[in-house]
Parts: sequence; structure tokens; C-alpha cells
Amino acid sequence: MAAERYLLDELAPETRDEFEEHVFDCPECALDLRAAVAFVDEAKVQLPALTESAPTPAPPSISKPRAKRNWWLAWTRPAFVVPAFALLLLVLGFQNLVTLPELRTQAAQPRLLAWVPLRGEMRGASAAPITADREHGVALSLDISQQPGLAPYPSYAFDLLDPQGKLAWTGIAPAPPASDAGGQRIMLFVPGASLQNGAYTVAVFGVGPGGERISIDKYFFNLVLKSE
Amino acid sequence: MLYSWRLGAGGSVLEFQSFDAAYIERLWAGDSGTQAHFIGYFTQLLRIKLRSRLQSTHAIEDVCQETFARVFAVLRKDGGLRQPERLGAFVNSVCNHVLLEHYRLAARSDSLDEEGRPELPARGADALEIVGARQIRERVQQILRDLPLRDRSLLKAVFLDERDRDEVCREFGVDRDYLRVLLHRAKQEFKAEYIRRIGDRAPLGANA
Repeated sequence: MAAERYLLDELAPETRDEFEEHVFDCPECALDLRAAVAFVDEAKVQLPALTESAPTPAPPSISKPRAKRNWWLAWTRPAFVVPAFALLLLVLGFQNLVTLPELRTQAAQPRLLAWVPLRGEMRGASAAPITADREHGVALSLDISQQPGLAPYPSYAFDLLDPQGKLAWTGIAPAPPASDAGGQRIMLFVPGASLQNGAYTVAVFGVGPGGERISIDKYFFNLVLKSE
Repeated sequence: MLYSWRLGAGGSVLEFQSFDAAYIERLWAGDSGTQAHFIGYFTQLLRIKLRSRLQSTHAIEDVCQETFARVFAVLRKDGGLRQPERLGAFVNSVCNHVLLEHYRLAARSDSLDEEGRPELPARGADALEIVGARQIRERVQQILRDLPLRDRSLLKAVFLDERDRDEVCREFGVDRDYLRVLLHRAKQEFKAEYIRRIGDRAPLGANA
């Protein structure tokens, strides 16, 4: 997403210069940038009309106070407060004595995960079908090995886009150690609670010393949730 | 006048033109079609590059034209480029030099880019001068309408109101990644229509 970073003024001056030099040399990237500029320019013309109905902060209320507005204060009467407080204590006690210890025990136990290897778009891979369930989530093994001759980045950034194309999660991890064969893999675990059926995308970026993100590869998978 | 070519509705643009020795030769020999393509193609890129660095459209046009003048002077003088495939990088490099000189000149004297000079109305739709077709406007409108109102307001705050990005992100409860992905997705949706329109308006043959 170099064109977007360029338009959002997110590139350091040196990186910006390098990007421009590349764009002048690469018709494909030039087209990408020009499309983005054309979209933004036209959007700037249209956005005023399309945001007219945007909610604005409400002005200070000058309406007359209602005649009867204290009905809700009835909840503060001891007849309601005391039982509610007792119920609250009961819930808190149950959580502290039963639920949380169980969760701590589970978290401290080793877990076995069956990971799914994914190959990136750059390596010619298409969307991989993956079946998962909400209890176990899904563990993805991403091959982020650089092309031969290219130095690995000190760290990598990951964007997980959900089936609606919205950014569901983003994170940065230091470069994993290379295997004997020189390959680098990193595992991404997505908890089951946040999963939904559909096509996901994992976009991987190399993070340079200046913090700039360079798109490296994309990994696609079609997730099918097992019915519970 | 070669250097006063403007990108009008009939501007000729060709995408994915490969710059090679034959292209340079035609350019050097004064082939009008190739020169039109060259000016059209790089004018857009130069404007995109320069509008974040120069305030006035006058200054941008001056730097563009001076860049073209110098590129043609070098081509005429040397009869070509040692690396024809690096023509784009060469144009960019010449532009950087012209820009530096412009800054120096502006620092010394009243320049075209001075703040005191009355600002001309922004031309705004530079790239749309080429693709200013109704279909493009409708496509952008459709993409914007498909966005939630909050995302539209976010784009407006960033690009139209030109407010501080971090402040806007805080206000809308999103991070910079969200903004970037929002723009990326909108651009990707728009790009197909853009390429289609560009293709429709590419009268110059690649190797004419």
C-alpha cells in the first residue's frame, strides 16, 4: 500500500524520494498511484454533499426541564439497591472462586495446535480452503521467506482483513529465525470467537529500519466454520 | 510549442508504455505522437509529485515545463540516453534538480510560489482532466455511497479539510492502519473503472 502511504504523507522523506523514483520508472505503480489520486480528487469534489447528513455535536439543550423527571431515581432506593448489590457480590464471588481459576489453569497448560500452512500470492498460491471451529480457532503458518538475494527485514507487520475486507487485526513481530533451508515461517493464531465464514486476507509487510512498511506478500484463505 | 502542451479532454495517454531505445529515438527525432505521449504521461506524475512540494499551480506548471525543456535538451544534445529503460528515473532526477533551483530562487527573490502572491483557484482534478468522464464520477460516487457515513466523514476530514491525521484518527476512534486500508480498498474498487476509461482514451499506439 505504498501509494496510500504516499498520499497520506506517511513516508519518511528518503522513502518518499525512493518511491517517487520507482513510480517514474514503473508504469504499473504509476497507474496505481494515479488511480488513487484520481479517486481522492474526485472524492474531494463529492464528499461535501455526501457528508451533509453527518451527525454533528448536539447543541447545548435549552429545552425546558420535564415536570416529572425523577422517576428513575426510584432505583436508588434501598429496597432496590440492597438486593442488587447482594446479587453483584454473588456474581463477583463466583467469578473469582470458580471461573477465573479455571481459565488460569487452562492458560498455563500446553496446547496442541494443528496449523495450516499458507503460501503467499507472490508464490502463486490461491485462496486455501480452511475448516475450523469456534472452540479451537485456526493457526496459520505463513511462509514469509524472502526471495533469494533479498535481505530479510528486521521485523514484519501483519494485517488480517475479514471477509468484509475490514481490518480485523494488525500486529508486528520480529523476524523469525531462518530454518536450515533458509526459509522463514511465522504462525498466526486467530481465536475462534472472532472467526466468521468467508474469504480472509493476511497482508504481510516488511518493516524497515525507519518504520516504513513495504508490502511483501498476501495470503488468502476461505474459512468454513464447522457447525457446533 | 512543444512545451506548452496541456492535458485537455483530448489528451493522449497510454498506459504501460515501455520506454526503450526506439521510444527515445522517436522522441529525439521529434515524432509528435511520441512527444505527446511523453508529455502527457509524465505531466501527470510530475504534478502528483510537485503538488505536495509547491503551493501554487503556477509554480507546479513552471517546474513541469522546465523539467521537460531540460530533458529534451539533454536528449537533443546527447542523442539519447545510455539507459533508455530508465527514462522515468531520468525525468524524476531532472525534476528534482529543477525543484531545488526553484527553492533557491524562491528563497532569494519573489518567486512564483511566494505566499504573498494571490493563490489561483486549485484545479483539483488534475488526473480527472484525462478521465473526467461521467462514468468516473458515478463510480466514485457509488463507492463513496457504499461506505458508512463515518468513513466518508473520515475521508473528508483527511483529504478535503486536510486536518491532522492523528487528530482525525483519535476523533473517529480508528488507527492509521484503518485509514490506509479504507483508502486502499476504495482505490482498488475504483481502479478497474479508471483503467477502463484510460484504455478508452489511449489513442496513441504503443509503438506508433
